[in-house]
Amino acid sequence: MIDFSVFQNSLPALQVVVPLLLAPVAVLVTIPFLSWLIALFGSIFCLYSSVSLFLLVSEFGKINYYMGGWLPPYGIEYIIDDASAFMIVLISLMGVFATVYAYQSFKSEINKKSQSKVYGMWLLALGGLLGLVTTGDAFNLFVFLEISSLSSVTLVALGSKNDKRALTAAFNYLLIGAVGATFYVIGVGLLYSITGTLNIADLTLKLSELTDNNSMKAGISFIIIGLMVKAAIFPLHIWLPSAYTFAPSAVAVLLTATATKAALYVLARILFTLLFNADEFTIIILQWVLLPASIVAIFFGTIRAVFEKNIRKLLAFSSLSQIGYITIGLTLGTASGVMASFIHIANHSMMKAALFMGVGAISIQLKKNIEVIDLQGLSRQMPITSSCITVVILSLLGIPLTIGFISKIYLLKAVFSHGNWPILFIIVLTSFLALGYAWKMIENIWMKEPVTTTINLKDDPKIYIPLIFLSIFNILFGIYAYPIVNAAFSASSAIFWKAV
Amino acid sequence: MAEFFINGFLVFLLAVIAIVAIQSIKVFSTVMLAGAYSLISAIIFVSLDAVDVAFTEAAVGAGLSTVLYIAAMKHLPKREKVVNDNTFFALVVCLVVGCLLVWASFDLPQIGDPMAPIHQHVGPYYITNTKTDMGIPNLVTGVLASYRGYDTLGETVVIFTAGLGVLLLLGDGRNNRDENE
Amino acid sequence: MIHGILGIWNYWIVIILMMTGLFIVISRHNLVKKMVGLTIFQTSVFLFYISLGKVQGGTAPILTGYKNTLYSNPLPHVLILTAIVVGVATTALGLALILRIKNEYGTIEENEIASFNTEENSK
Repeated sequence: MIDFSVFQNSLPALQVVVPLLLAPVAVLVTIPFLSWLIALFGSIFCLYSSVSLFLLVSEFGKINYYMGGWLPPYGIEYIIDDASAFMIVLISLMGVFATVYAYQSFKSEINKKSQSKVYGMWLLALGGLLGLVTTGDAFNLFVFLEISSLSSVTLVALGSKNDKRALTAAFNYLLIGAVGATFYVIGVGLLYSITGTLNIADLTLKLSELTDNNSMKAGISFIIIGLMVKAAIFPLHIWLPSAYTFAPSAVAVLLTATATKAALYVLARILFTLLFNADEFTIIILQWVLLPASIVAIFFGTIRAVFEKNIRKLLAFSSLSQIGYITIGLTLGTASGVMASFIHIANHSMMKAALFMGVGAISIQLKKNIEVIDLQGLSRQMPITSSCITVVILSLLGIPLTIGFISKIYLLKAVFSHGNWPILFIIVLTSFLALGYAWKMIENIWMKEPVTTTINLKDDPKIYIPLIFLSIFNILFGIYAYPIVNAAFSASSAIFWKAV
Repeated sequence: MAEFFINGFLVFLLAVIAIVAIQSIKVFSTVMLAGAYSLISAIIFVSLDAVDVAFTEAAVGAGLSTVLYIAAMKHLPKREKVVNDNTFFALVVCLVVGCLLVWASFDLPQIGDPMAPIHQHVGPYYITNTKTDMGIPNLVTGVLASYRGYDTLGETVVIFTAGLGVLLLLGDGRNNRDENE
Repeated sequence: MIHGILGIWNYWIVIILMMTGLFIVISRHNLVKKMVGLTIFQTSVFLFYISLGKVQGGTAPILTGYKNTLYSNPLPHVLILTAIVVGVATTALGLALILRIKNEYGTIEENEIASFNTEENSK
């Protein structure tokens, strides 16, 4: 009995440490199937612990976990509140789906000898992201940022078996990511030098006593620039399109569903805890830096996606524009804006993960990077995959009864109550522009005859099972949106109201 | 005063190395310059009382990382093909970032000022409590291994990740060749 | 005012060093030189942190046993110990990638690789 309560109390640490410790085990097993089982066990354990933490938090409120028992600000603190619980549930849920999908993807896209190591890397990426969203210490955040970037870089580079461009994509990701992380470290150093603390809660308290301090403003700016690189916010997104395009299919699923989302969450957290004390400066950052960047990102991403032939690059550019919608919610500086962002973080992660899975199902069989013409006549060859892709594309467009519609509604509502008409117009306009690339895919799937390259494609149950689940989620939470909306509401209040 | 001049000279050396590193078209000498840069930084760390950091920087920064560079350079071209099409852009970025930092520096505490916030908050706690909590005289070890031991776990995971990554990237290449032969 | 400038001139030198590193990362096309630039950039950031920890007249943070000894702040040292190791890990992974790129493309000049990639894209 007593053991179990210790286990329960340590969940905030275990959900991060267990995947990190399982990683070497997965590497040492050397049998791909067993390593995959270990990775699956790790991700299911994360899901179990994050769901139980989520339930605990929503019942009893915030959990502060002190690493090694040292009180903050002297030791490192983990914070599970409504917002970080929302993120760990999302990350570990998508982690489970991606892991299920990964088996088939890695089997065909990666050499047999290195598969076990890849599952180790996979667990490191997952654990790194979970640590990133739960830590309450600014420097510990940097360490987890590096764990997750180094592991994602390696995973992207493994796409080189099919296409050597994966290597340059990975190198750019590494270099830009490292410069971004160094910017983050400079920012933390500047804030540390004027406050003497690294604990984010303590930092907020100390910074609120300072006004009009150059070091504080510069420090926060550097932190934001560093995180913008990781979250792929325009114009610091340059690593994203090729990384998503050339990575192995399962890696693209994991990155799109979790990595950028975790960085966006950390950015939101920093914006509304550290920044909100510096009034005028907050407005400058939100209105004159993030807002224009998100608007340009939306237009740039949508238009590039419309003219793109390579499907995964098309999806990557679409992600860029969707990240723009998420950051627009943040720039409003209102609780409903942050809530809209959270809803879209969750929904976009489900939509894009499903799309990358569906597209991956084709490229796994064709063993190449597929283009729009490779979708021709897909509905005859792979009816189940095609239907799922179509449902998710409709959701991406924001058709009623899908989660995409819920995202759009809450975003428009937030913008509307803020009274910012030009942005409202831009969101509606770009939603129609998105029809350009969505139609291109739907038309090829349903209205064209199969060509010789695609004639042998088949539905594969091992691949489409997670895809079906995600597509059902796309509809289910579109009709019964309460769970996501409610969780996003608590998450946004945890971030926002504490800040004001 | 002597310390001031020695530090001044070392920092001047760093600047010279960094500028030569931009200019040099021999990649190999750039790599060696990076090693020298780390080593001189290590000396400066000693004069700034950071002996543990100096030790690590000399061993890991100047030693291990130079070894890695040399091992890699064995298979890489030794000369750089100079193209200067990015220079203007790079200059603008560096000027903007540099000016932001200089602007920030006006509100930074003076170096060595014992009244600076970082010497008033958190830091003193370690100095007074490490002996009673851990029973060891080295404060850096105390903080590294216990108060912030979790960071160190993360650091270990980073090394493991990089090692596994190198193994996957390079070990993989060798396997490919074996399969082809 | 003069005292003020003297007190922060160290920061300016560190800033110049940082920017030199960043300049190399952005302006050079050779991938190894980019990594060297990154190393210089990061090492200069370490210098910034360590100079924060210095206390005038202080000694290294190892307890001497004498009362009233002034110690420099151990916390920045701890952070930089972690950061040095993270930096080397990044270097190692970057060099491994560069070796693979050399194998596949036959060059490590960014502009040449980019033109290879655009050819592939237009195929």
